[in-house]
Amino acid sequence: MTQKISAGATGLDEVLMGGIPANTITILMGAPGSGKTILAEQIAFHNASPETPVLYLTTLAEPLEKFIVHGNNYSFFETSKVGVSVFYEDLGYMIRETGIQTLAERVTDLLIKYRPKLLFIDSFKALHELLTSETERRTVIYDLATALSAYQCTSFLIGEYAPGMVTELPEFAIADVVLNMMRHITNVREQRFLRVEKIRGSDSIQGMHAFAISADGIKIFPRILTPRFSPTYRPKVERVNTGIKGLDDMVAEGFWRGSTTLIAGPSGAGKTIMALHFIRQGALQDEPSLYLGFQENPMQMARIMHNLGWDTEALISTGKLELMYRSPVEMQLDQVAAELFGRIRAGKVKRVAIDALDDLERSSVDPQRFADFIYALIQWFAVENVTCMQTVELSHLFAVSGTNVTQEQVSNMCDNLVVLGFNTERDELRRSVRILKTRGSAHDERAHTLEISGRGAAVTKAKAK
Amino acid sequence: MSADQRVLILVVERNPAVQRLERFFLEQAGYSVEFASDGLNALERARELKPAIMVAEILVPALDGLSLCRALKADAATSHILVLIFSHLHAEDRALEAGADAFLIKPLNEELLIETVEKLVSRVGREKGTR
Repeated sequence: MTQKISAGATGLDEVLMGGIPANTITILMGAPGSGKTILAEQIAFHNASPETPVLYLTTLAEPLEKFIVHGNNYSFFETSKVGVSVFYEDLGYMIRETGIQTLAERVTDLLIKYRPKLLFIDSFKALHELLTSETERRTVIYDLATALSAYQCTSFLIGEYAPGMVTELPEFAIADVVLNMMRHITNVREQRFLRVEKIRGSDSIQGMHAFAISADGIKIFPRILTPRFSPTYRPKVERVNTGIKGLDDMVAEGFWRGSTTLIAGPSGAGKTIMALHFIRQGALQDEPSLYLGFQENPMQMARIMHNLGWDTEALISTGKLELMYRSPVEMQLDQVAAELFGRIRAGKVKRVAIDALDDLERSSVDPQRFADFIYALIQWFAVENVTCMQTVELSHLFAVSGTNVTQEQVSNMCDNLVVLGFNTERDELRRSVRILKTRGSAHDERAHTLEISGRGAAVTKAKAK
Repeated sequence: MSADQRVLILVVERNPAVQRLERFFLEQAGYSVEFASDGLNALERARELKPAIMVAEILVPALDGLSLCRALKADAATSHILVLIFSHLHAEDRALEAGADAFLIKPLNEELLIETVEKLVSRVGREKGTR
């Protein structure tokens, strides 16, 4: 079994199925400002100890002092380790003196001097500026690879490599692992992703994984995947009370625990209030419930619930109800999923309301990824036996054509589909509610009136003809 | 210990980086180190220098490390030389079948290398004592 070292950055070990394979060469690539040096120093300081010395070699991109000053901004940068178990050396200065041809020799000198278990060369790409021909480039890199593979040490080469360089530069041929750190900028929004471009002798979670940089360093949110196992079959179906008067009676077998219900409707039709009823009912029944919203902050949500006459504060203070707000401007899909499932797996959540999917969709860099994300999310809710209500906004006020009411086929993925709308009766606008789909259960197919008052929402049934 | 009293180790290795590291760590541990860059040259030097220990990579030119080991063990003049096969190849069983006295996988781990060599050296001492 391949020995691995922990990356020290939350989520990266999970992406790399346990960590970075020991005694290999890893390239950390990415555009300027993508977080390469932060990740490198985070790995260095996380692993450093007197038994695991770390050697950090700077080259020609930035002076050594800048690494120290920059590192001081992060909590992982333990100053007490510098010079004790983390050693910085200016490799750029050494090879300027003796020539780039002596790179492998100089690195071997330093391996002998420090006997590091982890070695970083930052920036490795900057050394290319000293290489004058393709032959020299290949020879120097080959010699370095030979030197690095001779000694039991896990090496990291850091550089501002563009994607096209992966097939051109010789260091990518000698690398065992290539981690690409990317910035995705659309208008004023910026999202960061990490992708494993190459890994030898080990497995990894493929695709783009969102990450965030804070004072604690880099935190990676592994891409949510469809569960590898199916939800446990439960012979006895457990019904869930949605808390919306009249709605549960419209479904013969009720809304099942572990199911996901999509509430689709135009603006003002009552989607949010239905989601609030749903989580409040969960909290009242001792099921920890979470409302995830992207428009109103928790204070605004609490005020709305208070105005409905609900004692929200008591539910929040006992931990039965959580109002979670994420700004749709800064949000990343997998970050939200990681936070959500962190709470679910800690047993803190049994019901979830997501209001609204439109905000999540806007934070996705790719429509297919959004569809995959929602599918995986729904499957995981079923596996974890968490009952979910999601809302989505429809542009049409009065009529819905077909059952695929959402662009990315989210309605097909959900177990139940409830469509809200408006109709006019003697110049009076009335809200309507109709169940279009319930998986594994019969339902009332008629449209009914959704009444919203100072006490909340309730379904008023139309008289049977 | 003066140079001529030190235990002599013959290293068969063609990678200059490994050669340099092995020389440094073994000399620092108090051994005298000589090199051969291929298997045939190693066989000649073994007969000539009579080292106590040979550290051999399998993947060396002319005569591979395992054949070299068999040749040493088959010759009464060199059969006493203790052989440590030190290779990137996961070939411990093949090394022991070839008569090797110890096996280590690369890359070089200083502590493991010195510890293994020390064990072989103490065996050399015991075997001399019993003769």
